[in-house]
Order: sequence, then structure tokens, then C-alpha cells
Amino acid sequence: MAPQLRLNAVAFVSPQNHPILIRTFEQPRQDELKYHYIAHTSLDVIDERIQAATASKSTDCYLGLLYVEDVAVYGYMTPLKVKIIIALELSDSIVRDADVVAIFKALHTAYRRSVANPFLRLNVPTENVTDHSILVSAGNSRWQAFRKRVDEIGRAVGGFQ
Amino acid sequence: MTAQRVTITYSAPPAFLATDHWKQVYAALLSQLPLRNLHWKSATRPNIRTIQELDVNLVSAEAKQTEHTSQIPQTVLEKPLLSAYIVVCDDTETYRNTVKKQIKEWHSTVTQRKNMEWLIIHIVRPDAIATSGRMFQMKASVLDKIKADFNVEKRDRCVELVWAYDSDYENPTAWADLIGKLKDGILCAFDAAVAQREEEVKRSEGQRQMPGWNFCTFFILKESLANSYEGMNLYEDALDTYNELEILFFQVLREKNLSWFGTLINPAPKDDSLPLLSHSKKPYRDLILANTISVFDFRTYLLARQCSILGYLGHVVEIARKAVAFLSAFGRRLRDIEEILPTHFIESWTYSSALSVVEQCDAWATGLEMNKATIASFNAVKGELVELARHQLDIIGISVGHLPNRPPFSMAFPSNSRRDGGTPATSSTQRISKSEILMALEDKNAFYKVYIGITNRAIELYATAGRRKFALKMHGDLAALDVHRGRLSEALQTFTSLPAHYAPHGWTSLESYMLFQALGIHTAAEKPRDREWIFILLDFLKAYVQDLGKELLMNTEDHIEYVTSLVQALHEATQEAESDLSHHDHPAISVSVPNGQARTADNRDGALLEVQVTNALPCDVPADEVIINLTGRDGAKLTFLENSATPGIYSLHSSQVRMSRLSLHWLHSSTPPPSSSSASRSKKPPTLVSIPRDIRALDVRLRQPRRMELGTPARIVVAFNTGRNHVTRASVKLSAPSGVEFRHNEATLIDSDNDALEAGEDTFVLSDVEADKTVYVSVPHSDASAFHAMRVNITVEYTTLVEPDVNRSLTLVRVVLTSLPLAINVEDFFRGTRLFTRFTLSSTSHQHIRLKSTELRATRDDDGLKIAKAMPRSRTVTTITPEQPGKFLFQLDSARGQDREPLKLHIIYRVLREEVESVIESAVDSSLSESVSLQQYRAELIDTLVQALEKDASWVNRYEATGELIVPGIPVQDGEVGEALAHLIETLANPSSNQEPSGEWREIIIPVDVPQMHIVAAARLRVLSNPFNPDAVESLPPLFAGQPISALLTIKASFHWAPAEDVEKRSYRMRYDIEERTKDWLVSGQKTGEFIAEDDRTFTTSVTLIALHHGHLILPKVSVAALPIPGEGRMKAPLIPSCETYQAHGAEAILVLPRGGRSTFVVNMGGE
Repeated sequence: MAPQLRLNAVAFVSPQNHPILIRTFEQPRQDELKYHYIAHTSLDVIDERIQAATASKSTDCYLGLLYVEDVAVYGYMTPLKVKIIIALELSDSIVRDADVVAIFKALHTAYRRSVANPFLRLNVPTENVTDHSILVSAGNSRWQAFRKRVDEIGRAVGGFQ
Repeated sequence: MTAQRVTITYSAPPAFLATDHWKQVYAALLSQLPLRNLHWKSATRPNIRTIQELDVNLVSAEAKQTEHTSQIPQTVLEKPLLSAYIVVCDDTETYRNTVKKQIKEWHSTVTQRKNMEWLIIHIVRPDAIATSGRMFQMKASVLDKIKADFNVEKRDRCVELVWAYDSDYENPTAWADLIGKLKDGILCAFDAAVAQREEEVKRSEGQRQMPGWNFCTFFILKESLANSYEGMNLYEDALDTYNELEILFFQVLREKNLSWFGTLINPAPKDDSLPLLSHSKKPYRDLILANTISVFDFRTYLLARQCSILGYLGHVVEIARKAVAFLSAFGRRLRDIEEILPTHFIESWTYSSALSVVEQCDAWATGLEMNKATIASFNAVKGELVELARHQLDIIGISVGHLPNRPPFSMAFPSNSRRDGGTPATSSTQRISKSEILMALEDKNAFYKVYIGITNRAIELYATAGRRKFALKMHGDLAALDVHRGRLSEALQTFTSLPAHYAPHGWTSLESYMLFQALGIHTAAEKPRDREWIFILLDFLKAYVQDLGKELLMNTEDHIEYVTSLVQALHEATQEAESDLSHHDHPAISVSVPNGQARTADNRDGALLEVQVTNALPCDVPADEVIINLTGRDGAKLTFLENSATPGIYSLHSSQVRMSRLSLHWLHSSTPPPSSSSASRSKKPPTLVSIPRDIRALDVRLRQPRRMELGTPARIVVAFNTGRNHVTRASVKLSAPSGVEFRHNEATLIDSDNDALEAGEDTFVLSDVEADKTVYVSVPHSDASAFHAMRVNITVEYTTLVEPDVNRSLTLVRVVLTSLPLAINVEDFFRGTRLFTRFTLSSTSHQHIRLKSTELRATRDDDGLKIAKAMPRSRTVTTITPEQPGKFLFQLDSARGQDREPLKLHIIYRVLREEVESVIESAVDSSLSESVSLQQYRAELIDTLVQALEKDASWVNRYEATGELIVPGIPVQDGEVGEALAHLIETLANPSSNQEPSGEWREIIIPVDVPQMHIVAAARLRVLSNPFNPDAVESLPPLFAGQPISALLTIKASFHWAPAEDVEKRSYRMRYDIEERTKDWLVSGQKTGEFIAEDDRTFTTSVTLIALHHGHLILPKVSVAALPIPGEGRMKAPLIPSCETYQAHGAEAILVLPRGGRSTFVVNMGGE
């Protein structure tokens, strides 16, 4: 992983556009709002990208650089349509897509492993197993493992220097 | 800088160039330009590049030679790619003598030039071709000679142009050969030139690691390639070249080998306000060549070049995207050296550049045809540029104090940068030059105007791009500005409308932030804490308790305190609220029933249910009341308010928490509103609450009245049992969902001297009923015979003597049968003045019915009716079953012609089940009377027995016959209960005496009309012993088959049962008909005849019968029918009087003997 990347924030958004988890790394408290805004506004751009991808029949999960707003916002959509949005610190050098994709893959894995937690379905009736609220609940503060995994990735990328 | 164009030089003898002929040819040649559809096949590129259109300079060789050439690598197009020589010569002799020499001279110079192609154009007149064409080609033409002389290689570089003064310029066939040759030549030369230049570039790039290599020199070299491509209109290749240069630049940058650059930035006075995408605003190439260019200028130049090429390609979206990325990224880089830049240089530069890019893009986009999606993304990316410009205003605004240093304004600060908001100290003495920014710095209002203008522009662009969420964010920014400027009502309006956009998808963090702002403004504006405020607050608390809700709100300690004060304020506000408020499904508080088992309150009516109220807020919430609503099986609803409860199983329907005038509702049931948000919740299994039966509580039951009389209004009996309490007042309301109406105002008490019944329109009220007392009230209702059973909702509201202040209410659903358990069928038989009536009673259900008595009574005693009953005396109780109906026969004798009142059939009966239940109850009661300790098991004992009987019907027959109730299949149990049970079984199996079982009987009264018949005819066939003396009373002589037998047919008519109105009628015409019974009898005589019947008169006629065989034969039947009476008046139909005939001889049989005597048979013996 290229050392110059700096991960400022990560957001997981459900296929129905419900926020699952929004994590910021070492950001001033008053910037929390900024990253929530970024996660929210990114959905517009992701929608545009999805439309373009459907038009071109692309099946790539990686949606590329979504937009720049003193951080570089990248998007990724898992095959099950969970959207992952990351905000990288802007740098004046070229960011290789492969590095960004590597971060996304790690985050996707963290999410998959967290959602596989069978206890998420503990109090849900069986006919409801496909309910997206389970996916959303993975980011709930009651489930620490997901946060820990995401934080670990943030640290590994260089979020905590 | 305009791109260098392709040049073609031409040469010709000077004498020819001066002619008009040449001028015309030149003009015609120009008209064929630009060249179209050139296909460049390059050895180094996989694909053929197609150039749609290429502009070409056509100049004379002399003019071109005068231009100087520099050492700096220019584009390969700088030198002419093709040199043409024009020959006009029709005559081979002339050619050989003079022209050839001229061409050779020219040829020797052109072939020395590198990367240049040559072409000899031979112009001929059409008439010359015509003359030469007419003759045999004895001699080679001039063109052939030229070709032979100069085409040394395989390539054909000679072309003929057939030129006529008057021919059509546009004629493409004339030009095709020449144009094709021109294209070939240009491409060939270009290819060679590019290949050579590429080789040079590659060589130079390979020396990158060597000392002395200079990026700037290399850049100029490689850029010449890009320029060449651009000149050839090969924009993609040009762009690729610049992109490669950019990548190389970053590589070099990473290697930190920037010695050939000047400083990072050398701010010039107007740097911050010049249009970003102009590559001519500074002498960039000279700066590069001089190695003095700053990184800032270099990057700007590179971007401008890239964008201008993209502009040619029409890729405006990409231009804007590149610009945003560059401005943001390079702006970030400039921050590192902010202290040497003029104050606000970065902001001003970014601001002006972003806006200038938007303008430039718009300029490039005019005339472009874009599809819908492209227009949207173009607008979106322009929005991003405008927003970027807006962020610069944020930073400037905060630093000069026009804006507060807090979100959302402070969001524009790059992360990890200084946050003090003050103006950074700078060593630069320069000032920024953007007039808008300068004005905004000075004047607060100008700043706000620019700020709002820019923001609205971004909103507009985002809106047209379909980026709703970006636009929302911008609206939030505007509202924040309104707050700062004290325009609170505008801000409040925005902040109260924004949450609705964030709530639907659970963006509670943003929602709560908006609501938090709204609440803050509300307080700041000192608005009254009205309904609106309460709802904003509730929404805020809702978002607050959700997972993400707290994330955006200050620090932890603060917000607990803040929420506590809010809840406190809410409590005050709800107390002062003018009307009741309700709010559904607030997540801050949840009400659940952890244990579905309610308890009975020991000495009071009602049940207790444990309810768990969970408060998710970090502070106490004052609540006045908690209400639970339960739904029962029949849709019965129960409000759990610590008062009476109907036993049964319920599901939790809804709950409520009241705080003064505010009530919070939650719906738990599985009959949800169809909204999608509750769809997931509705799938949860319902919470069941079971409420035990409180035997000692007030109870109301319904039943059919013990005595029913058909034909009178139906009634039901309400059995009101007070239970443990002395009820001071109870109002009872009955209603039936089926629409049957109850006449409460006609309710009457049964068997009671208590006159405390107050009948009202909708309810009847009982007052002062003592404890443990049952009051029966009979209530009439509208016809319900269409139903088999009737469901009745009973609502009781009552107060007790012990707790006069508690109003209890009880809602019950009872089902009461409305149909009769019996079906009755009537058959009448007339015999003269008597009538036999047979009632067939059958059970309509599977139940056995015990009949005590049936009795037919006249309504009036003076009716002259004598009723006698045929009844076996041996049995007191009859049982009828569905298979075995009971028949009851009555004989009526009456005087003639009276107007008869209907009779009434009284049936006293009960259903076997009721009887057995009462038998069991009385047995249990009598056995329990001895032991008080067993009293509590009474219900259990009865249940056990009844259930045992329900399971096995083997006891029924024996019980019905003997009264002995053998309870089958009860296992022997130990203990007190077991003993009692065993004792009971014993008692039931051996009833003490033969007396009628105890329990109540029911009575049903059925009105029966006395039937009427005009004529009752008694037909009789009498065999006469002596046909000549019909009256002789002798025994019949023996009768033989085949023997004629005289018989007398007598028909006696009686008008006794004629309806009263027809009593006056004295006679009827009638017809009789003796049945043909051809197997038994031959009838001779008048078999059919008419006669006049009169009351109590006999019609007589004689017939002769012949028995066809011997045996006991029954006489033929005689049918008698009345003939219609012609209608009186014109319109009346003929009237057929009713008539019934009975065969008086119906039971008689006659013995017919076989015929005796001798028979003679003559047999021919066959002899002569």
C-alpha cells in the first residue's frame, strides 16, 4: 500500500441508502459533520456512476474518484449493492487506483465478516432474514467488532500517523 | 498559440506562375482543401488513425524558403511535408529539351530534404488528351516520360491533372488522383517525421538518470510531438503525449529532482485572477526553455494545454473534472508555503480559477451536442467548481470575521490545517488582484451578496444535474448564514424543512443536526414553545436516540445536560399546551410486556399486568400514565387501565405514555398501517397477553330466554352477575355487529323485585345490586332468525361501593344462539268432524334433545275445541335425536264453521348437554357442600367430568334410558381431588332415586293454525253379498277369482272444516275416479263420474269388480276431486275448493278364492 495515502473517513451505506457506519479517523470533532455530508452527497454521484455503469454494462465494483472537495472521495459498491465511500486526504501526487481498490477490498472484507455474525439475526423472525435492517444493524454501536475492523484498516492505511 | 498547419510548397517555371492559367489552377486547387478522411497507418501504433479533416497551407517554395529556422524543436509540421512541381507541357519534344531539365533541377533539391515528399503534377488540357487519344499511342506521352525519368522508386510520384478552363471545379473525378497523391505524400512525410522525432524523444527519455538531463528541454522536445499531432488534428495522440508528460513530471517530482525548475511559485501580480485555462497568459514556453518556470506556472500551462486539446475534442466534463482536482490538490500544496504568498492568494486563485473554468467550459460547450446524461454530469461538475469557489469564500469569511469559525463554514478548511481562523502572517508584500474578493474582504454585505450568489448558483447547477443531496447541503449552508446574520425566521424555516430530507433513509446524524439547529434558533428567536416546537423537539429526540444521532452534537457531557433541559422544557410545554397532542412510534421510550401472564387482583375486579417501560434518553422523562391496549380473538379491544379485564388471550395492540397533554403512541399489533416502514415490524410475532379468569369478578352472560314464543319479538336474557362487589351503578350496552338492534328501552327484569332498572335509549342501567347476585334482564331485539348464532358486544361500565371513584369498564363478546334446537313438522289428517294433527319434532343439531312434554292448547277456552293427546304414560322424558325424531299426535274435535284462533304448541325441552351439565353441577355442589376445602376445585371437577363426557359418547344411551351417568375414561387420581372425583363418578352412576333430573327446562311456544278444508270426502267401496239388496247385512259369500263381484261406492262429503267464510256454500260439484289396478281387478261400471256433494250427504253408485287372481286383495282406491267453481265476475279465476279424500276401506282386504270346477281337455289320439 502506498504510504502517502491518508484515510480520513469511511462510510458504509446500505443498498437502500441507509447509513450503516460512518467512521472518521483522527479528524477534528467539528469536521464530523463534513464527513457525514460527504457520505450523504456521495450517494448522488454513486447513483450517476451506477447509471453509467449499467449503460455500459460494467460490473466493476470500484466506482473510482467520485469528487474532490479538499478530500478525495472514492466510491465502491459491493456485488450486494452495499456502498463503501472513503475520503482520502488530498495529495498533489497521482493516486493509483490499485491502492484505493486495495483499501476498498479490505473494507469490504471487514463488512462481510461483520455481517456474517449470526448473532445479528438473534431477535429477528426467520422470515425476515433478507431484511436490510440486519445489514444496517451491523454498524450499530452495540456491535463493536465491525468498528474495530474498520479502525484497524484505517490504521493500516496510515490514518493514524 | 495556434497550431502549426501542414504546409505544401509548390514550384513551377516562373513564367508559368505568372500566367492566368496558374492562378485559375491555384484557386481550383485551394477549393479542394481542406483534405478529408486521411488514414494514417503508423508502424508504432496498433490502430489506423483517421483524420476527418486537415487544413493545408499551400505556399510557393520561394516564400517558404525565406523563413528562418530555430534550434528549438518545433513541430514537425514546421517544415513543408510535401513539395510539388507543376508541369505544363503537351509536347514531348519541348519536354525533352527544356522541361526535363527544370524538373531535374528541382528534383535534386527536394530529394535532399529529409521528411519531405515530392510530387510532380502534370497539367493537361482535355483537348490534348482527346487528340492524343484519337491516334495510336505510337509515342509515349509526356507523363509517361516524366514517370520514366523520375519515378526511381516503386512509388508513383507523378500525377496528371486534366484541367479545362470551363470544366467544373467541383468535379471530384478530375481531382481524385491528385488529392489521393497529396494525402499519401503528406502522411508518408508525417509518418517519417514523427518516427524520427519519437526516436529522439525516446533517446532523451532514456538518458533521464544521466547527469545533465533536463526535464524542461525534454518537455519542449516531447511537446513538439504533441503540437505536431495537434496540427494534424490528431487530438487524442496530442492528449496522450501531454498525459505522458504529466506522469513523467510526477515521477521526476517524486525523485525530488527539481533543479531545473524555479521555485514552487513565483507569484506575479495578477496570478490569482487570470483565467486558469489560458496558455497564452504568460510566455510559458520561453520560461520553460529558460529553466526559470515555477512549478505553479508549469502545472498551470500543462493543465491549460490538456484542457484546450480536450476542448477541441468537446470533452468539457473532463476539463471541469480535471480543473477541480487540480485546483483542490495544488491549492493544498500551496498551503505549505502560504506564508510567502500574498494574503488570501490561494483562496483568490482558486476562486477565480474555478469560475473562469466554468466560463471557459461553457464557451467550449456552446454548439456541442450533448446527450441528457452528459448535460447532467456537465452541470454537476460545474456545480463542483462553483462550490469550490464558495469554499474559498468560507475560508476568507472566517479569516476576516465575516463568518463564524464553526461548521458548516469551517468545513471548507482542509483537514489538518490551521483552525484559528485568523489571517496568516505573510512575508509577501504583494496583494491579491481579484476585485470581487477584494471588495468582499472590505465590505461585509458585499461578501454576503457574493456568498449567497455563488451558493445559489451551485444549488441551481446541482439541481439541474439531479444532485439533490448536494443541493440540500448548500441549502443548509445558506440557512447557517441566515443564522449568523440574525435572519432567524428564514433560517428556522429551512432547518425545519431539511430534516424531512434526511430522515427517510435513516440519516439521523444529519437529521438531528438540522433539528438541533432548528431548536437552537427557536430558542434564540424567543419563539413561544408551541405545538410546532414540541414536534421539532420530539423529532430531535427521535433522531437523538438513534445510533448515529449523537455523533454530530458537541461533546458528551454537554448533550446529556442539553437533552435533560429539553425534556424538562417539553414537560412544561405539554402542561401549557392548548390541545391534546399525540405522536406515534417515538423510539426514545418503548413499552413492552415482558411476561404475557397477567395476574388477577386478589380482592378487586380486574387484572394486573407487568409492563416494562424503557427510556432511551439519558435523563428522566416525567410521565403521567401508561396505557396498554390489547386486542382479543374477536377483535375485542381491551384498554389496560388497572380495571376490569375480560379473561382470554390477547395480543398487544398498542401502548401509550401520557405526559400531560402529550401522548406518545406505539402500535404493536400485527394489523399495521400499510406503510412500508412498519412492514418489517409487522412481521414480528405478536406479543400475547393472557388474562386469567377472575371467577369473583363481575360477569355478564347472554342466553336465550327460557321461554320462547314464536311470533312475538325475540328477546335475549342478560345475566348480570356482580361477583365480589356491591355494584352501585352499572350501565350495560349491547350491540351486535350483524346489525341486529337491541331495544334497551324495553328491557325488563326477570324474577326480581329489584326495581332498580333504568332503561335508556342505548343502555340500561342497573343500580345498587348486591354482591354475589345475579340479575336477569330480558332485552327484546330485532329479528335475528337469519342467523344461526348472534355475536353480541357487551359494554359494561360500573362503579362499586368499595371504590366509588374508580370507573371500571368491561367489554365482552358473547355469542348467543338464535336458532331453535328443534325443527317441527306438522301433518294433518281429517276424518269427518275430527282432525288428527301429527307433530314431528327433530333435532336441528347433533345434540340430543330431551322432551318433557308437548301440549297443544287452544288460545281460547270457549273455542269449542276438544283436544286430546296421544301420549304413552310410561315415560316422563322423551329423547329425540337427529336420526330419531319424535312424533306427537293430537286429536281435535270442533264445532263447525267457527272462526278459529290458532292453537299453540307448548314444548318443554332441554338439550342433553345442558341437562348433563346441570346434573354434574348439582352432583358436584352436593358433594362439595360437605367439604369446604374442596370448594376451590369446583370448576376443575366440573371441567374434568364434562371433558370426559365430551370425548366418548358411549354413556349417552344408558343415561337416556336409566338416568345413570357412567363417566368414561377418567384416570384414578390421588389426593383430595381424586377422591372427590371418584366419589362423584360413583354418585353419578347411581342416581339416588328415579326422579327427574334437576335443572332448568326450556319452553318453546309455537303457534299452529287450525287447518281448513272445504270438503272432506270419505270414499268407500263395499262389496255386496247381494247386489240387489245393498243394505242386507250378511256375511259375504266366498268370492272367486274371475267371478263378478258387486260393489257399492259411497262417497260421504263433510263440509265441517270448511273455512268460516265459505260456510254458506252448500254444495260442490265433484268427480270421483276409481283407480285402475289391472293386475288385481277389472272394474266394470261407471269408474269415473261427477256428482254433487252436499254436507253430510252420501253419494252412492255401484260397480262390478272382477278379481283377476286369488289372494287377499286390497280394493282399488277411489280418488275424489272437487271441480272448479266458475269464477264470479269477469276477472276472477275459477276457484278450486280444497278437498281431501280418505279411503274408508283403505285397510280392508278381500279374500278371493281360486276358482274351483272341472276342465275338460280333448286330446286327438291321431287315429282315423
